[in-house]
Amino acid sequence: MAHPIGLESAYGPSEDVVVREIEGELIIVPLVAGVGDLEDELFTLNETGRAIWQKLDGRRTLRTVVSELAEEFDAPASAIEQDVLGLLEELERRKIVVRKG
Amino acid sequence: MPDPDRPARKHSDSGLPSGSLTELMREVLAKGKSFRFRARGLSMSPFIKDGDVVTVSPLGGTAPRVGDVAAFLHPATGKVVVHRIVRERSGRYDLKGDNAAESDGALPTERVLGVVTQVERDGETIRLGRTSGAVVARLSRTGLLRKAVGAARRAGVRSRGRR
Repeated sequence: MAHPIGLESAYGPSEDVVVREIEGELIIVPLVAGVGDLEDELFTLNETGRAIWQKLDGRRTLRTVVSELAEEFDAPASAIEQDVLGLLEELERRKIVVRKG
Repeated sequence: MPDPDRPARKHSDSGLPSGSLTELMREVLAKGKSFRFRARGLSMSPFIKDGDVVTVSPLGGTAPRVGDVAAFLHPATGKVVVHRIVRERSGRYDLKGDNAAESDGALPTERVLGVVTQVERDGETIRLGRTSGAVVARLSRTGLLRKAVGAARRAGVRSRGRR
């Protein structure tokens, strides 16, 4: 059962994904039921998504991710928090990331 | 943050940069998983038609077989092509589109990425085994399959199957 995304949790990429950076685009193929579905389940991350994704190493908590991004982009933490939680909800629902701690 | 749009979006394979299908397919198959994508072209018609969605599965340690419809790296373009194995000679494989006049040449095993195990068309799914293609392979190799399909079309016979 899905649990709410919490800022004190750490997330990392699932083992059941293929991630490739191709011509500047980060392409994610979830391997659902043993199939990499390029027809219906191919994802790409925009610049915001990529900045978040690169920090999902399974060790940093989401609070740390938000804090680092706020500093890097000189943006309000509240806005970044919204982006991070929104993206994580979608990625976790699609089993692209898993909770590591 | 640089862009406030939705950070993740679904992507269409038709919008992928050229060559990326090959990279993604190789990576998925290397993990021992299958790969589903939309086929383009007429070279395997009527078995696979333009726009059909095909699933390619890894060989899983088995050797490719005559009759298999295989995804392979084309020697000239380096792109992924789905054609039938029509002959095996000393560990090299002749592949050819059922609807093509020429074969793709004799390719080493490592160029064969996987075999087609499922074809989807118009909401119908056909799962394929790997045992019944030898006769089709012989017909394809000799050009008789293309002639037979052409004759059937001229006679008004409509094909529903892939084998």
